[in-house]
Amino acid sequence: MQQENRKLNFDVLVVGGGIAGGESALNLANLGYKVLLVEKELSIGGKMILLSKVFPTLDCAACITTPKVSEIARHPNITIFTGAEAKNITKKGEHQFEAVVLKKPRYVVVEDCTGCQLCEEACPVSVTDEYQYGLAGRKAAFIPFSIASPRAAAIDIENCILCGACERACPTNCIDFTQTEEEVLVKIKSVVVATGFNLFDPLKIPRYNYGKAKNIITSMQMERQLAPTRPYNTILRPGDGKMPDNIAYVLCTGSRDKSIGNPICSQICCMYSIKQAQLLMGALPMADVTIYYLHIRAFGKGFNEFYAQAQDMGVEFVKGKVGKITEKENGNLMLRYEDIEAGVVKEAEHDMVVLSVGVLPNMEISESFKTEKLALDPFNFVNQSDVLASPAKTSIEGVFVAGTASGPMDIPDSILSGGAASAETTSYLRRASL
Amino acid sequence: MKKKIGVYICHCGGNISDYVDVEKVRQAVENEGGVFLSKTTMFACADSNQKDMVSDIKEKQLDGVVVASCSPKLHLLTFRGVAERAGLNKYNYVHANIREQVSWAHSDNKTGATEKAIHIVKAAIAKVRNAESLEPVKVQSTKAVAVVGAGVAGMRAAIELAEAGAEVFLIEREFFVGGRVSQWDDLCITDETGKELITRLYDRVMQHKHVTLFTGAEIVENKGSVGNFEIKVKVTPRHFKLQCSGGELQKAIDVCPVEVPDEFNFNITKRKAIYHNYPSEYPQLPAIDMKTCTRCGKCEAVCNAVDFSQKTEYLNIKVGSILLATGFDPYEPPKGEFGYGEIDNVITLPQFKRVIHYNDKRLIWQGKEVKNIAYIYCVGSRQLNGDNKYCSRYCCTSTIHTAITAKNKYKGIHNFHFNRGIRTYGKAEVRYDESSRLGDVYLQSFEYDPPVVEARDGQTFVKIKDVLTANKELEVAADLVVLVTGMVPRKDNSIAGLLKVPKGRDKFFNEIHMKLRPVETVIDGVTIAGASQGPKNIMESMNSALSAATKSFSLIDSGELALEPTVAVVNKEACEWCGKCDEACPYSAFEKVEKDGKMIAKVIPSVCKGCGMCLPVCPSNALELIGLSDHDVESMIDVLIEKDTV
Repeated sequence: MQQENRKLNFDVLVVGGGIAGGESALNLANLGYKVLLVEKELSIGGKMILLSKVFPTLDCAACITTPKVSEIARHPNITIFTGAEAKNITKKGEHQFEAVVLKKPRYVVVEDCTGCQLCEEACPVSVTDEYQYGLAGRKAAFIPFSIASPRAAAIDIENCILCGACERACPTNCIDFTQTEEEVLVKIKSVVVATGFNLFDPLKIPRYNYGKAKNIITSMQMERQLAPTRPYNTILRPGDGKMPDNIAYVLCTGSRDKSIGNPICSQICCMYSIKQAQLLMGALPMADVTIYYLHIRAFGKGFNEFYAQAQDMGVEFVKGKVGKITEKENGNLMLRYEDIEAGVVKEAEHDMVVLSVGVLPNMEISESFKTEKLALDPFNFVNQSDVLASPAKTSIEGVFVAGTASGPMDIPDSILSGGAASAETTSYLRRASL
Repeated sequence: MKKKIGVYICHCGGNISDYVDVEKVRQAVENEGGVFLSKTTMFACADSNQKDMVSDIKEKQLDGVVVASCSPKLHLLTFRGVAERAGLNKYNYVHANIREQVSWAHSDNKTGATEKAIHIVKAAIAKVRNAESLEPVKVQSTKAVAVVGAGVAGMRAAIELAEAGAEVFLIEREFFVGGRVSQWDDLCITDETGKELITRLYDRVMQHKHVTLFTGAEIVENKGSVGNFEIKVKVTPRHFKLQCSGGELQKAIDVCPVEVPDEFNFNITKRKAIYHNYPSEYPQLPAIDMKTCTRCGKCEAVCNAVDFSQKTEYLNIKVGSILLATGFDPYEPPKGEFGYGEIDNVITLPQFKRVIHYNDKRLIWQGKEVKNIAYIYCVGSRQLNGDNKYCSRYCCTSTIHTAITAKNKYKGIHNFHFNRGIRTYGKAEVRYDESSRLGDVYLQSFEYDPPVVEARDGQTFVKIKDVLTANKELEVAADLVVLVTGMVPRKDNSIAGLLKVPKGRDKFFNEIHMKLRPVETVIDGVTIAGASQGPKNIMESMNSALSAATKSFSLIDSGELALEPTVAVVNKEACEWCGKCDEACPYSAFEKVEKDGKMIAKVIPSVCKGCGMCLPVCPSNALELIGLSDHDVESMIDVLIEKDTV
């Protein structure tokens, strides 16, 4: 593979273009600092842009994320690399960092692409759509999702059969198969790590039968079904396309569970499950929704009131741990659970099960730091070296952490953490100029 | 009159188009006077559509633009930005809300929704036809910030602001800094004590030449607005001169005859009218509490540093932004709630923390050794009947942390946690696990069935129907009952009224947007941090303090602010000062001035928010809103009352 080497200078490298990284980047850019925002995915906006509505305000997530995303995308002081990774970050001295950013080819000239989707129509290859979390298909030539930023096509070269149909269909000739991977050497004065989190993969709990029983989905898949850019335009169980009328939520899937190596609480699952339950009550007025929980952690501003609202709407809350889920012949699911209030083990039948999957650390970034080690905490999140007085500080002076990279948190906490990281970066940069 | 208006109607990915026939709307408005082009779009806010709009405006030389989409709260600024980027003055853009006001409100009536959308879009077109180009009001801003409250959040924000380059006035109402955290020993998450953390922050505050700390001080007046707040700070003297030897001070304290409950210890101890909270409290200078001092003069006789001649001072300070970090009060249970105030071994969690502080080897309360401790959670939070519906967030973790501390510090402690479902969210979960392994007992009920505290036969019992053992009735004989009291807003939150900062349903200061703008308020230039906005632990308060510092700083950094020109104006001929506009104005934007021999009203443009409250109360119709004149509104009403067109 041919490599092209470029050298660029910025004040700050922000790794991760989700809501926390975006907030940090915007704050810094508004103060006049030049920011390079590196995002691994094809669009910025992180996980938030893919959500349905947000708790407890029930704002449409896309509607409140897109203004932020366009502000970031258009800011004269922010340069964005999507489909890129900061691979090698070295500290040369105080206020002197170097990073090698690997830009993967998109095979589309973003500036020329109008997002007309003709390439999508022309492409003969269908694969699973990762942005719909496997609920729908997409083409090998595709626009990641309708509100993606940039809203430009990309070629999934792994699955592309190089038939050339997209090239022929493109009215602006923006498809370019000669693009190659590019390594960009970047000089910066400071780094903000905002690499977010990974969702727990429920295949790791075989007794829940996720992946085998067809009508068990993850909460992120339900999130997609409820989003304005949803795949089915209604709620369907994937097994047979039936509209479910008795849905169960299994909380703490992959959280508070030492057997899968994650002893901590993910902080968001209770609330997003309660939110989805409320939205389902609206979308499927006849459906019953039951939430199986250990403790409801409705701790933030307006959260407990939102929980009470769900109870008033008729969402059923059952205190008990689900032990096992099995599939019946008609696709319905049998849940074996401990009903703590009754003090007995019970079974219940539901026609769809949503696993409320937890927040896991995204550890990759620690490997990108070469000269000084970016320390992780006992749970493998980025360690906060002075958590009470300077929550954004890490083990490396000049490297700050924002959002869920340092632990589970919801959107407002991520915004606050992103703000804290930009504040600390500002004073660190100011010390360089004094 | 505009001749080339572009109209864009948004599907909002189904949010609108599921209920409103957007194509029908487009057809209905395409022949309206002045409309040059009309389009529908899947997401008007998406970058690709914005790009299209820019090229439309440029290429077709549009002179007015309407987007019919969601609430202007979300995207008014987005599309004004589009206009600007295309070289069109942004006030030639008008926003029509057909989502919150149409599709979401009328999801049961698609025909009616479409009809209403048509009217709303036509009204927006009528308005844009008359639109005029406007220039923002430019104001110089002062590169200084007032931080109110010198607890952890306020001090941290002050340090960051000063490091970023602002002049900071840190204003603390008490005579000592540190707020609530100074009252705690071991903190959760780290092993640092509250005092150590406060010392670290205080040292940085005092070292910074751009931070001026006022104690015993509060803002009593405010004029002006973002960029130029003119505040009056009242500084109450502590009646102590700087030089004071330890020996003399102790004598002064000893001779003081006044004893009052010590609020620093949540009233479990007494202090004199001369006091310091603890020997190394900051500033390290005692104060005299003049509310309780009898002026007997005994202290003066033994200590030269006492100085009753010090006077209350008023300082006028000009700042560009105000950051509120005024903290919280612990909930104070009324007499009788779980036996509080009636049974003498029922205390609150903050009191218990101070009890632990003062007991070294053995845990003694009211002369008796304590072994069995019952904690009752959610006192003053998650109330079924009271006003506090919210969860106070920090208390589960804090209680478990305190219970572990007690167990490690004293021999033979048994902890019984009467909870409503433990909320040790995030990494705090490991504390819960640790306490369970140490043998702490957890008993749970729900909101509607709380535990009961009873005194009988000289003992105190806590009784519960325990959810965790299939609703068995269980009872614990407790030597000490600790009520886990939540956070409530400060009793005296008058600063909010002074600055016109709104409060939420929970009475904490309210942010602009709970999700995305948690530290800004609707009052431009006023930011909120820490527990003044809602319950938070220390780390969360720090994050919010740093965030608020960034937002405040970015307002003042450039030295100049561009404000909305859509403000009220006074017709000098028609105005006969009656003061009604001044009374109606929620922002104090009016001045009474003399003009051509008569008194008239004058609008201060940097203070006016263009809310329009003054317009209907003016008896001589002498007020008009720029960008929303009577003529504009009438032309919109004319269209809105037209007969149905579908």
